[in-house]
Amino acid sequence: MTTTVTTAGAGTSPKPRPRRTKHNWYKIGTDAILYVVLSLIALGFIGPFLILLSSALKPLTQDLFGFPPDLIPRPPTLDSFREAFRAVPLAKYMSNSVIYAVTIVPISALVCLLAGYAFGALRYPGRNIYFLLILGTMFLPAEVMLIPRYLVASDLGITNGYLGVILPSLLSAFGTLIMRQAFAGVPHELREAARIDGANEWQIFSRVMLPIVRPSLAIVMIFGFVNVWNSFLWPLVVLNDESKYPIALGIAYLAGIGSSDERSLAAGSVASIIPIVIVFLFLQRQIMDGMKGAVKG
Amino acid sequence: MSVASPARQSSGPAATVPSQAPRPQSRRRRLREFRWWVPYLFMAPILVLFAVFFAWPAVLALQLAFYDYSVVNPTVWVGWDNFARMMSDARLGQAALNSLVYLVGLLPLTVVIPLLLAVLLNQKLRAIGVYRFLYYLPVVTSMVAVAVAWRYVFHDLGMINWMLTSIGLIDQPVQFLLDQDSAIWALILVEGWKSMGSYMLIYLAGLQAIPSDLYEAARIDGAGPVRRLRHVTVPLMAPYLLVTLTLEMQDATQVFTSIYVLTGGGPADSTLSLGYYIWSLAFEHFQMGYASAISLVLWLVLIVMAVGNYAVSKSRYLATS
Repeated sequence: MTTTVTTAGAGTSPKPRPRRTKHNWYKIGTDAILYVVLSLIALGFIGPFLILLSSALKPLTQDLFGFPPDLIPRPPTLDSFREAFRAVPLAKYMSNSVIYAVTIVPISALVCLLAGYAFGALRYPGRNIYFLLILGTMFLPAEVMLIPRYLVASDLGITNGYLGVILPSLLSAFGTLIMRQAFAGVPHELREAARIDGANEWQIFSRVMLPIVRPSLAIVMIFGFVNVWNSFLWPLVVLNDESKYPIALGIAYLAGIGSSDERSLAAGSVASIIPIVIVFLFLQRQIMDGMKGAVKG
Repeated sequence: MSVASPARQSSGPAATVPSQAPRPQSRRRRLREFRWWVPYLFMAPILVLFAVFFAWPAVLALQLAFYDYSVVNPTVWVGWDNFARMMSDARLGQAALNSLVYLVGLLPLTVVIPLLLAVLLNQKLRAIGVYRFLYYLPVVTSMVAVAVAWRYVFHDLGMINWMLTSIGLIDQPVQFLLDQDSAIWALILVEGWKSMGSYMLIYLAGLQAIPSDLYEAARIDGAGPVRRLRHVTVPLMAPYLLVTLTLEMQDATQVFTSIYVLTGGGPADSTLSLGYYIWSLAFEHFQMGYASAISLVLWLVLIVMAVGNYAVSKSRYLATS
């Protein structure tokens, strides 16, 4: 509701400010220090990934470990990737993850969209109670619900199949929260105006409100994809059949079986994060703004 | 809501005089409101999902805690036995203690350091977005891949051992993940490292909401960078601190995947968390009744913590719309 409009453009007008000279050596010096510090920290964040990548690309003739560390693969080879895809059906796991993503992401987004509309745009008795009920599920740690939910799934006869993974993943409290905030931000007058023009409730929803909240819907779907791609605990519990594993679980499986060597494990892990890194590369703005938006509320 | 229309109809034929008068009234009513069931139509999918995958399991969990349920053997009612057993379960005590260590150990990595990172990233510098991207990268990658990556870092001939031996902090390489004293700290480092970016982003959102005039004023008053951080940034970030604290509690109680991939709860249960213990009891040892009883207690503890937290931050974040 509190739409604080920050006038970003206002600062461009020339203010009578003590103008710094172009060659401000103090500023250049502090900036240089800042860059060094920022880069060192960045190294801390990507270092483990670089080590993983280097281990994946090293040929068999080169040691993975040693003092001092030697991270440059000489020569880089894709043999370990081949080995990883041979040791376990990684391609199958990836296609499973794609199946999970193309079902869970849109359906779950639709569920969030509809619920978010009810919670954010419509006024009716008890809506906040319903909303808090859904939001409350966010604060329930997964492992507490693990056993009873597994039993429910087995009562429904959906364990050990794709449905067992898909159905319980459709409820996203986070997505509902985002959609609710998006709808709540739309001025009420817009709905009134549409109604005066003779639109019914469904038309108001689909023709007036939906186009406005499309960016938020995109955020929900992006987060949904990241979550599905990385999902681990619930598939671990509900699936016995390895052929239905999503990729993250597949990598854990590869890490667990004795036959896999350290090189192919690294290669498999690298392969598993490539899709998510690509998504993040292209959609980083939406992802990070969505995260911030959810906090600000 | 629908009460209005029959009333109007009954008064319609009786009051013949102003045939025009009730119409605008009725139209406005129809304009204002929708049928009472419309919201339920929109909520239907999520309510069904909630009922099937939250409410029903919650009832089951409650029930299950009083049974000896092991999937294969017949189910036996055991009353409060499961709860009594918890009293004398040494592994449970260890797991609870470890969970507390995770909770406290993650605090600096998730609540303190990300604030400093956010301050750094809030500088007006060229290409700052690149750094933001790199710091956030671990957040979007799967915990499995992250844990595997750290397995190489923690290797006895790996990067950390090389760094520590070359600066002389340790003489001999340490097997961090196989050492009872260090394993849990290694896991805390991995968990904290992975989620730092999301906490940083929360603080960044807060920092960007602080008007720059405040810093300007502090600068004019002669406050250096440290004092500006201490007296301007930190007080204004207090509400965000509550958000990160709440999330930290959530994260710390959900430590699972890193344990699964890196230590399996060992060595000698030194990294066993409550969540991992529950999972292991239920799905490795098939003691579902007992595991449910533990879940139930954990649940109660978490509710108490959440309510406590909510009471502090009340109406400021969750309730704002």
